[in-house]
Amino acid sequence: MTSATLGVRRGRAKGSPLARRRRRVFGPFLAPALILYTILFMLPTAYSFYASFTSWDGFSNPRWKGTLNYDHLTHDPAFKDAFFNTLKLLFGCGIFLFVLSFAFMLLLREMKGRRFIQGFIFLPHIVSGVALAAFWDFLLNHDGMLNKGLHSFGLGPVDWLKPQWQFNAILIAIVWINTGYYVTILMAGVDRIPPYYYEEAKLAGTNSWQRFRHITLPMSWDVVGTAAVLWTIGTVKIFEFILAFSGSQGNLPTTNQWTSAMYVYGETIGGTSPIYDFGRACAGAVVTLVAVVVVVVVLRRVTSRDRLEL
Amino acid sequence: MSTATTGSRAESAAQDPESPAAAPAGRRRVPWARLPGAALIWLFVAFCAFTFLFILLSSLKSSYNVLNHPFRLPTELKFSNWSKAWHDGGFGPAFVNSVVVVVAAAAGTVLLASPAAYVLGRNQNRLSGGVSMYFVLGLGIPMQIIVLPLYSIMAKMHLIDNLAGLIVLYIVVNLPFTVYLLMSFFASLPGELEEAAALDGVGPGMTFWRIMLPLAKGGLMTALTLVAIACWNETFLALMFLQTNDNFTLPLALVNFLTQQQFTGEDFGVMFAGVSIAVLPMLALYAWLGRRITEGLTLGAGK
Repeated sequence: MTSATLGVRRGRAKGSPLARRRRRVFGPFLAPALILYTILFMLPTAYSFYASFTSWDGFSNPRWKGTLNYDHLTHDPAFKDAFFNTLKLLFGCGIFLFVLSFAFMLLLREMKGRRFIQGFIFLPHIVSGVALAAFWDFLLNHDGMLNKGLHSFGLGPVDWLKPQWQFNAILIAIVWINTGYYVTILMAGVDRIPPYYYEEAKLAGTNSWQRFRHITLPMSWDVVGTAAVLWTIGTVKIFEFILAFSGSQGNLPTTNQWTSAMYVYGETIGGTSPIYDFGRACAGAVVTLVAVVVVVVVLRRVTSRDRLEL
Repeated sequence: MSTATTGSRAESAAQDPESPAAAPAGRRRVPWARLPGAALIWLFVAFCAFTFLFILLSSLKSSYNVLNHPFRLPTELKFSNWSKAWHDGGFGPAFVNSVVVVVAAAAGTVLLASPAAYVLGRNQNRLSGGVSMYFVLGLGIPMQIIVLPLYSIMAKMHLIDNLAGLIVLYIVVNLPFTVYLLMSFFASLPGELEEAAALDGVGPGMTFWRIMLPLAKGGLMTALTLVAIACWNETFLALMFLQTNDNFTLPLALVNFLTQQQFTGEDFGVMFAGVSIAVLPMLALYAWLGRRITEGLTLGAGK
């Protein structure tokens, strides 16, 4: 390991006995995690970039075919659906989720039992998406609970899961699952605002709206930015809820419900008649990763600038 | 690299759960102005409570009653749903698989991550900063980009449809977060004991195992818990790498059960018993270690 020897050599050069001892174990302590992570995480990432330019079934050797996979993606309705649905989740769902979470956070700060509530609404975040999908399906099904409830008020059954609504049902469920998590993150950020800011502002005769506008909001930009980055990374992982909610009889959901992760699964080994187009699926994954990187960089720019204006 | 500040911040946040001063005191708005908001929050809370109560109660009802009287309490407790789910629905073996995978993956991840996090957290130089960044990079890489080359590797090593193979993958994908989490814990520990140990001539390996690890017990517990939760619920990799029912973990057993139901007719009581088997351990864990879980999961936002 070159990094290890480097660490040791530096350690010999300078430092207290403690620092020297610590540096002696630097390599051996780091190596197992670093090697495993490199071989089974970073190299596969790099390999996906390469494979996206090849024709590959996952078993035989990939054959170079230039940018054909990417050309194909631009005409592939399944990929377009998957990509735009991911964007819909990222921005549509995201804006709604953040407004809701921010509002809940502000309200909770002034409510009794805030710890209890905060802990409670966190719950959906730590249970299986498949389990929640089973519940959600039972809720919205034609014979489901919501229609049973409506029926007892004499209202007719509503087809909540008709094709043009089904993805919206998913969006709402995703907001529900994540609200508690983002409330907690935002709360932790706002809790860090020094209380004397509020005290001084109050002495200056401000009202609560002004304090919100000029203290809470600008001071929480930082954590909103971080939370937005977490959300961006999180959205492209959304998979099992949709699979369990919209898939039927062993088939994958129809492509208009697909997301980026579903595309990778569907174009390779998923479904009743797998396609094994690993090359094209890699290209799809690369496009997703690039989109994530772009969004994260832009988010970082935007939020750090706003913070500086303060 | 600001690992040190992350750690101390995380710690101070942990020590300061609810200082009354932290709330923007003295917003003396009229209470009724906030009422719609508070009502909305309680509605949300009620829906969350309803979800889990409904799942648990329905697991004890007959399919007919779940479907036709969803809001009624169970009249008789049908524990046979649970035994049906456990024996015939495939949830029993899946539960055992899940436990094996979760325990092995969580222990393996922490075993690998903690020495690495220790040297990265306590050495502040450019090399450790660079390596830390290299691990943090993994936090932003979605699973779908690594999964296909991994599939090819695992196929060559005959580790497809193999629980040991899945455990290795779970360890790898949880490394970035766990290293990141533990790094800030180790960085926040006081240095005196370590220095004293060095003066007494205790070797660096021994210092780590005997002194620093016990000190970081809280962090290790958090890491174990979070990896366990992540693996218990993980579906995408399991779906990619497991093929036969005998190897299924709980999320796959549930997906499989939902699919089967669509062919063989639906038994909602048994379905919710299966859902409960997947959900209940997480609820119990959360009841036990709730604060640790929420703080650990939101630590990433403190950077």
